[in-house]
Amino acid sequence: MNSIIEVKDVTFTYSGAQRHALERVSLAVAEGEFVGVIGPSGAGKSTLAGVMSGAVPHHFTGELYGACLVDGKDTCEVTLTDVSRLVGSVLQDTDAQFVASNVRDELLFGLENFGVTRDEIPARMQQALETVGIEDLCDREIATLSGGQKQKVAIAAILALRPRVLVLDEPTAALDPASSTLVFETLREVNRSAGITVVVIEQKVALLSEYCSRVVVFEQGKLIFDDTPRKVFSHGERLREIGVDSPRVARVSNSLAAAGLCEPGGPALSVDEVAALVARIVGEGVRGAVVEGACAVPVVPSSPCDSSIDGDSVVAAASSARTGEPVARFEGVGYSYPGGGASVRALDFEVFPGEIVGIVGQNGAGKTTFTKLLNGLLKPAEGNVVVAGLNTREVPTSRIARHVSTLFQNPDRQICKDTVLDEVAFGLLLQGVSLDEASARAKATCERFGLPLDEAPFSLSRGQRQMVALASVVVGEPQIIVLDEPTSGLDYRECMTVMETVRDMAAAGSAVVMVCHDMEVVSDFADRLVVMANGEILGRGTCADVFANDGLMQSAFVEPPQAIALAKRLAAEVSPAFAGLSEVSDIVAVSKELACRA
Amino acid sequence: MLNVIDYMPGDTLLHKLNPVVKVALAASIIAAMFLTNSYAMLVGLLAFTLLMGAYAGVAGRLVVLMKLLVPLALILFVLQVLFMRAGTPVFGFATDEGLITGSKACLRLLGVATPLLLMLMVTPLGDLANACVEKLHIPYRYAFTFTTALRFVPIFSQEMTAIMEAQTARGVEYDTKNPFKRMRLMLPLCVPLLLSSVGKTDATALAAEQRGFYLRTRESAYDRHPFVARDYAAFALCVALIMLGVAF
Repeated sequence: MNSIIEVKDVTFTYSGAQRHALERVSLAVAEGEFVGVIGPSGAGKSTLAGVMSGAVPHHFTGELYGACLVDGKDTCEVTLTDVSRLVGSVLQDTDAQFVASNVRDELLFGLENFGVTRDEIPARMQQALETVGIEDLCDREIATLSGGQKQKVAIAAILALRPRVLVLDEPTAALDPASSTLVFETLREVNRSAGITVVVIEQKVALLSEYCSRVVVFEQGKLIFDDTPRKVFSHGERLREIGVDSPRVARVSNSLAAAGLCEPGGPALSVDEVAALVARIVGEGVRGAVVEGACAVPVVPSSPCDSSIDGDSVVAAASSARTGEPVARFEGVGYSYPGGGASVRALDFEVFPGEIVGIVGQNGAGKTTFTKLLNGLLKPAEGNVVVAGLNTREVPTSRIARHVSTLFQNPDRQICKDTVLDEVAFGLLLQGVSLDEASARAKATCERFGLPLDEAPFSLSRGQRQMVALASVVVGEPQIIVLDEPTSGLDYRECMTVMETVRDMAAAGSAVVMVCHDMEVVSDFADRLVVMANGEILGRGTCADVFANDGLMQSAFVEPPQAIALAKRLAAEVSPAFAGLSEVSDIVAVSKELACRA
Repeated sequence: MLNVIDYMPGDTLLHKLNPVVKVALAASIIAAMFLTNSYAMLVGLLAFTLLMGAYAGVAGRLVVLMKLLVPLALILFVLQVLFMRAGTPVFGFATDEGLITGSKACLRLLGVATPLLLMLMVTPLGDLANACVEKLHIPYRYAFTFTTALRFVPIFSQEMTAIMEAQTARGVEYDTKNPFKRMRLMLPLCVPLLLSSVGKTDATALAAEQRGFYLRTRESAYDRHPFVARDYAAFALCVALIMLGVAF
């Protein structure tokens, strides 16, 4: 096999670190492959990207054992620049990757440096821009672009250099689902038409399973799975243990296989496949022997309206919580930024104690503006925002903070103290709680989260820093919790810890408003949804209703989560019993039951 | 606010001049500002700069910047008047010489800052760096450092705003009216800002190296900046400005 990259038994320890970032990793990537890399945070994924692109050992120093051969050359023996001729890498933070202030200069930089001839440069630039589909952005200033556009510029700037391998570190971390899909479409195009090998680190499992020809899974520096997506995601249980999610469709077919309703082994990886699978199971019934075990579940009435499945009971609980007074209210709120940008108009909204409301929509729809109006960082230009009885226009933001706590996407902007304990207690002190009481409460909260009290927050991992920020929110027992992309940059396990804590807070009576791109998280945790587009509220309702509304989803450019898309498909093609389901477990239960009756 | 010094696209003669010539022009206005000693010349040079700005379509932004500079100029004026003891008293402790040097210092401050800002507004940073490397033989690494620093200013100021918002949202009183209290509250923010900027700069260094930064020579740049007739004319203007400065 002609491997373009061969990682041979590599062990790497960053200088000053206690633990190996990578441990005895061997991996050969053949020319033309599309490899996805996944694993919980701190598993060594970025280090692997560094090893492949030569940043380890040329830029990041430490102890390196083993070797990485790029096109047969040991990366230790050639310069970083030489490795870069073959391996182009796209960093996680595109702002840091850019070297110029406009798109044209950004593309020119590498071409000029690598000595591409003057005659060839225009064609190369044109081709790179066309491949990524951003010809129209050529003369734009980079600062004026959206996150998705920046990511494409970063990719185009590397593509223009015609590397043989493209290594990307979480290119979609800051993007909405639609832009993420576009980035992967671009990568597929590059991979197929230009034959460029792609290695991409990614947390979004649905994208990995759809686009990659091979998935490798890391845990604590070790490579634990290396196979086709189908084979890798058949290990759903093991993946979940280490903190890696599986696509929802794979979960459905894995559960069906576990119940003995279909062959175990290769799970379905797309809605089409699993729909066909369920249709087969339900249609033909199942061989008697298997059905015995599978049908031990209580029989659910087939009419969806009086079914007692979880999805409906959650909705019922949420609507009963609505009897109290709303804790925050928007009345015809409008706001526009002085310099232009995502302005919002005519927002009417109420949130009640104990409920979790998800706000969904594309990047730039006005979701963040909405949250800033709620926590008082922005004062409405029209209408009123009343939070815990206070009109935000009349009260300073720092006073509103006593009632509203915000968890931001980037915890590092929140953290400013030297120890975890001080950090968590800080918010309480600002609220006027006495030092003794604040320390005691902070200590209790930190212990609940298992956080080290005396460590410096900045020495912790990204996921733990987010937990510190979350602890500072929880400790204040706020009436309203605002979450702005609380799970981006977190692995599956950290994401679940954060969201379960939030759910506990809601159960204790806090109202939660969250902005989140991950529709799976939204559909798992939110009681109801508000859909935004172009600064306006397009629609609202329960998760199931909103996600089932095709017209609404399309006009807001939101992709419904896989489980809901699947339920809808099954309701139309197989049985109305699937209508309105949103959870993997419900779909599995209904499939089982229908199979038993067939 | 800081992005008022960003490049403003346009196709006026001023935009089309070679970036090196624009630097020379700004430098000669500044030189003339320091050489001259007459009010007429100081005011004239300042007016000349503003007129050029108006011609290039950036007058609005120049005025915004002037508004920021005027308080600084006034502080300078007051200090000069306080400490300049020579000359005859006019009123109170202010002497005529104090008033004269003070007002000239004011004009010079404005006259030095505006040509430089004007130049930045009408020149894309990349062109400026490349032209300086090509014509002035400045090593590319210095040009790159300079452009990167300027490019980072808005990025860091966004980061700072985001940090302040996050802190306000948790109850730190950045929205206080008292400026001294605000300053004191801002100090702890230096840590997160510093950490994120060090991380960003390191990543930029890596990204630049991975795109052949060390291979770059003076001949690498794709865009060339040859001097043409209008550039020579502008050079003549530079010489004339300096001579005027010396004469008056």
